[in-house]
Order: sequence, then C-alpha cells, then structure tokens
Amino acid sequence: MMNTNTLTMGGMTNLDDHHLRSRQAQWQADKWMMVGALFLGTAVFGLIGFPLFLRGLALQIKAQRQGLSVRPTMVTLIGYLVAIDAALNSIGWALDLVAHHTLLARVFLMAWGNMFDAGYFWHYNELWIGGATAPGEKGWEIALLPVVFCMRIAAAIGFLQMKRWGQQWLIITCWFGVVAWVGYIANMTIFADVRYTGVVFPVIGWWLYDIFYITPFLALPYLHSVNREIFTD
Amino acid sequence: MKEQPISEQDRRRRKALIAFQIVCYGYLLTMFLIQMYMYSVRDW
Repeated sequence: MMNTNTLTMGGMTNLDDHHLRSRQAQWQADKWMMVGALFLGTAVFGLIGFPLFLRGLALQIKAQRQGLSVRPTMVTLIGYLVAIDAALNSIGWALDLVAHHTLLARVFLMAWGNMFDAGYFWHYNELWIGGATAPGEKGWEIALLPVVFCMRIAAAIGFLQMKRWGQQWLIITCWFGVVAWVGYIANMTIFADVRYTGVVFPVIGWWLYDIFYITPFLALPYLHSVNREIFTD
Repeated sequence: MKEQPISEQDRRRRKALIAFQIVCYGYLLTMFLIQMYMYSVRDW
C-alpha cells in the first residue's frame, strides 16, 4: 500500500527521503559547528574553533542550496553567536568569582587587568570575596553569571533546535543584554579612574576587545519580527 | 525551510527596535567618548 508520505518532489524520491537527508545534513553541519563553538567558548583555544565552525557553516549553506530543509542561516548565526558570547563571559567571570586564587585565574585575569582593565589588577584578591576589586564588578558578576549567561546558553540551544521556548527566552536574554550593557558601561565610566590608571592600553584596548560582547542585542529586531511559525512548541 | 515574508505590523516593530538600538548604541558611543576625553586629560 502506498504511504501518504511517498509523494514525488522535484529531484527527491519522496518526502521521507527528503526529511532524512535534511536531518543528516543538519546534524553533519551541527557537529562541526558545535565542536567549533566549544573551542571558541574557551577563549584561549578560539583560533582552533574558528575554522571548524566555518566548515560547519559552509556545510549548512551547501545543504540549503541543494534544497534540503535545514535551519535558516540567520537562526544558526544568532544561536551560535549568543551561545559563544555567553560561554566566553561565563568562563572569565566564573574564574574570577569562584576560582580567583588558582594559578590560571591569577595569570589569565591579572594579565587582562594589566593590559586593559585595572579592575582586575588593582588590589586583586584583597577583598573578603577575592577576585576583582573594582567597585560594582562583583555585583554584576553575581547578577549576570547565574541568571543571564546560564539562561542564555540554554535559550541558544533551544533556539538552535527551533523550539518556540528557545526563541522566546532568547528575546528575554537579549533584553537582559541591553540592561547589562547600559549599566556596566555606566559603571566603567563612573569608576574610570580605578579601571584605567596604569594599564597598558586604556580605553581603546578595552573597547576593541569588548565590542564583540556588546553586539548580541543587535539580534532583537530579527527575533521580534521573524515568523514565529518556523519555531515548534 | 524558507522564511515567510513579514507582516506590516512586524515591519513597524522591527523599525521601532532598530530606532531603539540606535539610541542604545548612541549612549554607548557617548560613554566611550567621555572615557576618551578623560583619557586625554588624565595621567593614565
């Protein structure tokens, strides 16, 4: 008996075959992009991750050109960008919050402090809580690390899986990003004398490094106006 | 998976959000310029 799904489509044999090939192509591309994103998210191994990520992206675009039903490229780019951004923020701030006396934190964070932001150099590890001593910095770490960045990674995964909740929570965490950056930059400017005195590259160095983190809320117009029906419940 | 064309309401929403972002980035740029001014007058 003929299955209802055995319709002929263009160059494809039938819908089942098309569905199977699409899933395989998406998974193949995602494997490269996930490994790339894991490396990119560690910061120090970022250079290894970038070509792996690009290879996955190229595979996905190729599959799309072949007419397979894969995730829209914009969804892929936003999802991975947000996940990598949250991972990078998490690793640095988690080190500062709970592992500030480790050799890794003292080398990595104080080198960063010496170069760009004395908040991570000036009286480092001298407060009762340890780590960065810049006024307000610990408050931002405690608020943003467990609430925003963890939620953001979960949202990005749901978004990449094309789930409705993933899209909704990505919108929420991108709005969090607006609040976080407006507040954090105000804090940086108010305490600029603490943060930039004696560093190797004051102001310009910090901005060049951090401008990447300020971009995720650029996704908001897309997230608010994308066709919601492409995401499943 | 092709995306559908967006509705008029969504188009207006997207425009409003872009305008809002220009305000946000304007604020960030202002903060950057304040820091640059401080950099020029202080002994950092």
